[in-house]
Amino acid sequence: MRNLINFLIKYSFIFVFLLLEIIAFILLVSNNSYQRSAYVSASNGVTANMQESVSNIANYIGLEEENQKLAAENAFLRSQLLESNLWAEGSLSTHIDSNKTQFYTYIQAQIISNSFQNRNNYIILDKGSDDGIEVEMGVISTNGIVGIVNSVNKNFCSIISILHAKSAIDAKITSNKYTGTCYWPGENYQIGQLKNIPSHAVFSVGDTLVTSGNSSVFPPEIPIGFIHEFELKPGRSFYEIQLKYSADYNKLNHVYIIHNLLKEQLKEIKEVRDDG
Amino acid sequence: MTGKDLLITILRFVLLVLAQVFIFNKINFGGIANPMIYPLFIILLPFETNKNLSLFIAFMLGLSVDLFTGSIGLHTSASVFLAFVRPLAYSIVSSNKVYESGVKPGINNLGIRWFVTYSAFLVFSHHLFFFFVEAFSFDEIWHTLVKTTLSFFLSMFLIILLDVIFKPQKK
Repeated sequence: MRNLINFLIKYSFIFVFLLLEIIAFILLVSNNSYQRSAYVSASNGVTANMQESVSNIANYIGLEEENQKLAAENAFLRSQLLESNLWAEGSLSTHIDSNKTQFYTYIQAQIISNSFQNRNNYIILDKGSDDGIEVEMGVISTNGIVGIVNSVNKNFCSIISILHAKSAIDAKITSNKYTGTCYWPGENYQIGQLKNIPSHAVFSVGDTLVTSGNSSVFPPEIPIGFIHEFELKPGRSFYEIQLKYSADYNKLNHVYIIHNLLKEQLKEIKEVRDDG
Repeated sequence: MTGKDLLITILRFVLLVLAQVFIFNKINFGGIANPMIYPLFIILLPFETNKNLSLFIAFMLGLSVDLFTGSIGLHTSASVFLAFVRPLAYSIVSSNKVYESGVKPGINNLGIRWFVTYSAFLVFSHHLFFFFVEAFSFDEIWHTLVKTTLSFFLSMFLIILLDVIFKPQKK
């Protein structure tokens, strides 16, 4: 027993080191899982309030640029309104729209903290359950998709950014309607990867990628990015495509959270299908 | 350690964490390099600090940075590792030098050449550990090494600059 205690004292430095590293790694692993994000703890209390006041200062500095963006967006929305009215009147097949059943509503939100330099990035927004935010809502900016809500508390919510190892977004090439899945390989925050486009598809560099609308999270036709480079290795049946994101994730400030009004119905019908 | 020294040390802890979180975490050159200056706190701890105590201090330091960045455990593990290799660093860097008690690591007391070698060893160990834990695999090893090297040069530059600006008083 005495020898054991002597041994422990003699090598206490190594034991304390190992103990603290084990604690650190337990914290790391338990907080990095997909659904239970550590970000809720970071969005609580003192740290979030300090983050918020720093981001308020940054907002004030960026006010002018932001104003221009908002003005541009207003103009864009106005033109879209007129166009979509004409389109609804002139079309018979889209009777859901012409009956004026609204599918999505948008909630404007402000970014409190954002990262893009890590392998797995998260974003915190200033809207929470009090504002009607729920998990698995999509988040977009003026220029493109941003991420998906993964945890919510009273006043804040945390988003899994597109720049995350687990992000997988259904995308469609607008020129030929083929759909694939977007991933982020982690090297450059502006470059993503598009998989599952078959080798017989025809497209070219610069073609636009938009959301396919196959999921209940994002509405169709939200921009994702552009095709940057592509390659077809001999013997493979799928292209390797690099895409450039249309949104600059370094400069995000205002975003919109998408509320799918008919999500419950959609879920029900999918469950019925899966049971049958 | 006198009361004044303790106060300076606590102040240094708070300022380094805040500067790291609110200034240097936002500098990242498109995600390829991320300077980290908080290791300076461990680098500047007096030599006679209890080794186990320095591990606990490093744990608290890393955890403070983590709480702000939302990456619980990442900076903590790297910071503890840094405190672990510190005794190794000063035995390697100056094997034939005997420290008088009360001498603190710093450019003023031990010269720029000594300080650069000593902190370079520590900062590189810290960054290497940090970026491998962040990637959590050896798949993207080249990318990790490039990130480590670029961040290392950036951090070293800033750490030397900070040490020159805030020279400790010569005793």
